[in-house]
Amino acid sequence: MTRITTGIDQAPALETSLEMPYTLTTGKAVSVFIEQLGHGVIVGSHCDNCDRTVVPAQDYCARCGGDQGATVAVEPTGVVTAITRTADGAVGLIRLDGVDADLLHVIDESAGEVAVGDRVEATFAPEPVGTILTLAGFAPSTSAVSTTAPKEIDEVADEDLAKQIIYSLSLPYRHAYGPNYGRLFDELGSRGGILGSRCPHCQNVLVPPRAYCEICYVKTEQFVEVKDTGRLQAFSVIHMEFIGQTRKPPYVYAEIVLDGASTRLIHNVAGIDMARATEVLDIGTPVRAVWKAESERNGTLDDIDYFEPIPE
Amino acid sequence: MSTSTERVAVVSSALSQLKPAWDTVQHIDLISETVNQALLASGFDIHDVDVVIDCGSDVLDGRSISNCGFLGQMGAHHKEESRVEEDGLFGAMYAVNKILGGGAKVALVIAYSKPSESIVENYYRTIADPFYQRPVGLNKAVAAGLLANQYLTGTDATEEELAEIAARAWTRAAANSKVSDARAYTAREILDSPVVASPLNQLSLSRPVDGAVAIVLTSETIARKLGSTPVWVTGMGSAMESQFLSEREPGRLEACEVAAGMAKRFAGGKEATSYGFAEVSATSAADEAMVVEALGLAARGKAASAYDGDVDINPSGGAIPADPIMATGLVRMHEAANRLSGRVEGSSATSALVHASGGIGMQTHSVFSLEV
Amino acid sequence: MKSVAIIGVGQTHHARRRTDVTQIGLAREAALRALEDANLTIDDIDSIVVCTGPVLFAAVNQPEKWLVDALGARMKPVVRVTSGGGTGLAGALAAVNQIRGGFAERVLVVAYDKLSEGALQYSISTLYDPFWGREFAVGIMGFSAAAWRGRMGRLGHTEEAAAMVSVKNHKNAFLNEYAHVRRDVSVEDVLNSRPLCWPIKLLDVPPISDGACAVVLSSGDIGEKSENPAWIRGMSYYSEADNAANRSTIQSEPLEIAARHVYAEAGITNPRRQVDVVEVQEPYTCFELSYYESLGLCEPGGAAALMASGATQIDGDIPVNASGGCMGANPIGATGLIRLAEVAQQVRGKAGEHQIDGAKVGLMQAGGGWANLRGVAVVSSQKG
Repeated sequence: MTRITTGIDQAPALETSLEMPYTLTTGKAVSVFIEQLGHGVIVGSHCDNCDRTVVPAQDYCARCGGDQGATVAVEPTGVVTAITRTADGAVGLIRLDGVDADLLHVIDESAGEVAVGDRVEATFAPEPVGTILTLAGFAPSTSAVSTTAPKEIDEVADEDLAKQIIYSLSLPYRHAYGPNYGRLFDELGSRGGILGSRCPHCQNVLVPPRAYCEICYVKTEQFVEVKDTGRLQAFSVIHMEFIGQTRKPPYVYAEIVLDGASTRLIHNVAGIDMARATEVLDIGTPVRAVWKAESERNGTLDDIDYFEPIPE
Repeated sequence: MSTSTERVAVVSSALSQLKPAWDTVQHIDLISETVNQALLASGFDIHDVDVVIDCGSDVLDGRSISNCGFLGQMGAHHKEESRVEEDGLFGAMYAVNKILGGGAKVALVIAYSKPSESIVENYYRTIADPFYQRPVGLNKAVAAGLLANQYLTGTDATEEELAEIAARAWTRAAANSKVSDARAYTAREILDSPVVASPLNQLSLSRPVDGAVAIVLTSETIARKLGSTPVWVTGMGSAMESQFLSEREPGRLEACEVAAGMAKRFAGGKEATSYGFAEVSATSAADEAMVVEALGLAARGKAASAYDGDVDINPSGGAIPADPIMATGLVRMHEAANRLSGRVEGSSATSALVHASGGIGMQTHSVFSLEV
Repeated sequence: MKSVAIIGVGQTHHARRRTDVTQIGLAREAALRALEDANLTIDDIDSIVVCTGPVLFAAVNQPEKWLVDALGARMKPVVRVTSGGGTGLAGALAAVNQIRGGFAERVLVVAYDKLSEGALQYSISTLYDPFWGREFAVGIMGFSAAAWRGRMGRLGHTEEAAAMVSVKNHKNAFLNEYAHVRRDVSVEDVLNSRPLCWPIKLLDVPPISDGACAVVLSSGDIGEKSENPAWIRGMSYYSEADNAANRSTIQSEPLEIAARHVYAEAGITNPRRQVDVVEVQEPYTCFELSYYESLGLCEPGGAAALMASGATQIDGDIPVNASGGCMGANPIGATGLIRLAEVAQQVRGKAGEHQIDGAKVGLMQAGGGWANLRGVAVVSSQKG
């Protein structure tokens, strides 16, 4: 977690990023389509029910939902039916010869502008890349309209197919602090104070501070400081490891009700013999915050290194 | 609607300022303040609300099942709640059904987003199927650019007409106090703004903004007891297109036509052209033109002429100058209800069409008809 | 309120990892089975509700917009309802409301998740506020374990009692053709299994699954004409602010509220006697104990004794999770709808090897989040 301020016009924000790994299953039609691109063949599907040929191959007909397979090889030539240009290049819809629906793909304009109605033909990447981008795109062509009907292809052996694609998502965020978290983390970072907000109606103190009481739904209006001591309301000893985990097990996941607060804080308990955590800790065990050295604080919840039991 | 003895009314609504970046508040701050205003305007206490339907996006929020952490600030504690992960107008559809079916008397519908906290293209890019359209670079701008190109190719409409639509939208938004940082542009300025995805440029593509909107809907019995003018929901409809641009009819929004047809049937067949005004969503000027045509306000390719017609189109400025993704359509409902109930000076209309859309290249549509 | 029937049910044969089919193909399998069971085609369907877990599970945002093409549902209303683990039930409730509101006569609810595709605990951990607690999250397992530890002393929900839930559900899964985990485990095995988030241990935890479920719901008129409908007698889904002041970790208030509403609607005053079969979305064993109490199958603090009495076994007087529950398969987005489908099949007499003889009234529970989204439904062979 980093708290950052970029430029005087922007309010401070918390930068986070979700970096998610995936293994996506492609299904039969996509895997045959991608495999065949490696041989310079563009494969489509024919729906017998709708009597339509579409490309790229799809397992199911988008019109009727019926089964169809990656069954026909289509010509690599066609005509542009729509085009748009962006800073990243041109993308278009291409109606391949003998096919009943368009194909969305990159239009290669390196040899000159392409317009709707222009003839184009497929260009391939030098080496298969394992995605639809083995078909690099479509470039201007002087080809005549092919009258060759789509041809049925031989069944592709199962062992030749890559059934999954390694994929990842990278999603960065700049989360605004807002008035409540702003104040909370300012006080936390500058002097180790923990703020909540009090509901004028039920008098409960919400930590972290919220604009509205979550039960009465009236404005809380007033910040109040709670203590950095409290009691364990619930806890678990974490042993499992998983992708994306930010701390090394074992550690204690703890829900702590700070003295003066009516809600719970999620943090960790340490400063104990982890092997004996389940004996040392109990529901109601009093705990206190152990703060990081002032030089290490950055105005996040991390400024509290951990909570430790208060010796009775 | 015609299937029930009871009707449903919009009895109050509230809208936050729509800003390119609400960087001084969090989602929950925007939401709670807007909900509170909607409640104050309705005269209800939160405890009068039976059900909360909320619309937001985990991808935009940077948080999984984001409704789950927002429940308290949405006023949903110990209430029935559902997240419809689509534009807020789809949430309103849920609420109307809930009330018509007798499952609730008072419903609160919330829609919000803060696109400024993320890279907005990630929201659109991740909607595209991961194997065929996403790797090729399909995103909001590319889809809108292709749809616009198809529209211009397949009809007599011109780029200048699209620029006029965008200019009009910005000019009206400049007069809408809820839209921040909007100014009036001429068609020339629209055309001269940087090309983003030809034939669309920066000012003819919708501008993502941060914002929240909250609407209170009630049963007829309750609406009649309140002091304010109830705005009746007379019809609603919805339909989804194929995701694949290649499977769609070029130059028109067929799913929008189907959704409008469904709403029209519920409303007893009232013609689109007999409504006072329309508040419609769009991700570009060409999309707006196609929506206007799909609703039945103009013939194919003739949307530009509809802007001089009897049905006022987007008096608020519409979605091009202010597109709070996930909330855009519900903002249209708020704008429409505000006008119909007499809260906007100079507005005497008694009926309106409201439209929302979602997905890449406006894949899904919802249409409402409202009357006072 | 208008009557609503379940007229078709379909599930996939769930698996740890399906490499033969895409996410949408998986969902489609269940949809086709439900349509076949209802003796309908997609053309007969007025509206579709899609339910899945959050986008991070499988890298597809708003996946209903991809699924629509696999269903042949172009030009129909399609909407997705998300609510974490209980989303399948939240989707069914959306469908019920569409029918009661007159928007649709026949609604297809499709719920699925292909959890083999992503990093599950990492994804679920992003449920937490990025400012406040996310770094400590272990999906919701850490939370769930902590809450269980809180109930142990107060309510006597011991590790042994939870282990009995695991043994029962694992055993029942042997009778469920759709389950993919069929494992003979003993109480000792559970207690000795590796701690993940103590007190939760490996055998307290459901599998990670690829799977889908679909249900066709209809108006009363259509239900009457259907061969073998199950009738929705009540359905609710309630929420709770996760960090509301003095929130109880002992009993689930939103579940109690939901149950109260549903029982009132269904005319149930004594669930233990009036209900024939129960399906709950555990997913961790400790939750099943908690639900016994919140659903009123026993008094608060009585769950361990109820478990030990054998009453919730498949041959007991109030069988819970005769299907094996989440222990047999847990494709999270589908799990809530599977529970509903299972009780529907029970009252239709179509549950197969785990059929409870003569079951007429079924009760199901589902939920998600930090145990703060909780839903309940009652289905019956009688329209009422």
